[in-house]
Amino acid sequence: MNSNDLLAVVTSIGSMLIEYGAEIYRVEETIYRIAESYGYSSGGKSVEVFAIPASLIITVDGGNGFPLTRTKRILSRGTNLDRVDKINNLSRFICAEKPEKNEILNNIEKIKQRHIYSYPVQVISYAVVGATFALFFGGNYRDALVAGVIAVFIRFVETLVAKIRPSIFFQCVLCSLMTASIAVIVSRLGFTDGFDKVIIGASMTMVPGVILTNCMRDFIAGDFLAGLYTLTEALIVAVGMAVGAAIGIAVFTKMF
Amino acid sequence: MIRNLLFDWGDTLMTVNYKVQLSRIYERTVIKMQYITEYGLPCLYSFIASIAFGIQFNIKLRHIVAAGAGGVVCQFVYMLIALNGASEALACFFGAVTISLYSEILARRLRVPVNMYLVIGIIPLVPGSYIYNTMIVLVNGDIDAFLRQFTDTMAIAGAIAMGVFAVSSVIRLLNLKNKRKSYTR
Repeated sequence: MNSNDLLAVVTSIGSMLIEYGAEIYRVEETIYRIAESYGYSSGGKSVEVFAIPASLIITVDGGNGFPLTRTKRILSRGTNLDRVDKINNLSRFICAEKPEKNEILNNIEKIKQRHIYSYPVQVISYAVVGATFALFFGGNYRDALVAGVIAVFIRFVETLVAKIRPSIFFQCVLCSLMTASIAVIVSRLGFTDGFDKVIIGASMTMVPGVILTNCMRDFIAGDFLAGLYTLTEALIVAVGMAVGAAIGIAVFTKMF
Repeated sequence: MIRNLLFDWGDTLMTVNYKVQLSRIYERTVIKMQYITEYGLPCLYSFIASIAFGIQFNIKLRHIVAAGAGGVVCQFVYMLIALNGASEALACFFGAVTISLYSEILARRLRVPVNMYLVIGIIPLVPGSYIYNTMIVLVNGDIDAFLRQFTDTMAIAGAIAMGVFAVSSVIRLLNLKNKRKSYTR
């Protein structure tokens, strides 16, 4: 495999890993390992990687005096840990078998097509998260019911809002505002005793779990820049949720 | 809790009068039922919530169930410490240590990314009610209460992070030792 092909393969694998929510040290280590298995670690050949959650920079030096660099800007990240696992297996396969470029690209395409859970299942899972967390934090069954319904609304709003690609802060404020307003109105109508358990339960669906764990693991691995990036993102999500809920509670308890 | 249970049963069995014995067994059973609702229900809820969260993160079902079981263990450790008088932050620290150990060991065994297990197990530890209370007292304009709540929340978040840090750093250290080649770092 020449350095051009290696660069193409490694860039798509690395950017996919970042987009699907892998830790940064996993991205860098995967790329180093693949490059090493093709002999790019000795004899004048080398590979350098720099990755943060927003971009990926890879330089492949084929030892001929013309190193190649490619940068890839990562604009949106989601969470699909099954695909991360599959890419992990693929990189293990690459290191063991050293296949040709086309075979790797075919495998990558297959991974991109993988879907485990359909959209309705995901919506139901949101409802279950909202309902069980309302119970978990001490609510009764009515709280759980309302929280589950609100969690479904959150999912719908998230999919709607994701199409116009706003900032993550705006999305959190919007979802949280909707949660708080519905919870306050329902409690004022007399269906639930209070609105706090409903809001906590429904808001747990928005907790940036993968971002937080990745942040911790990046700090442990020594990727402080990546850790700071994800920490900032998590803080902005938290502040957005708090602002949305605060506005909703302040306005709707006065109105009703 | 365990010590109390042991003492109770010991007392009961040492009594000669069987009517007293029966009534005591009944009382203890009621107490045990109370333990089940106190400890069991949150564990059940956290298990169901973990499974639903795993579906959101697109993880395969068998991994979700395994990780959810870890979450239950972590939740139990957390409650064992928190309900017996220790501070919330300490309980969260040991809960995080538990789930971190569980996920590091199991994920390495099954050769899957560690954060796949960690992310599910740690969700029930997230101090949702603390964050909410912080926000509520801020809305009400009570700055003293806000600072107190905020410090508590930060302490819990820090304790969880420290628990994960402690375990992962040690395991990383052990892992670097038997790696065949070192990379750039």
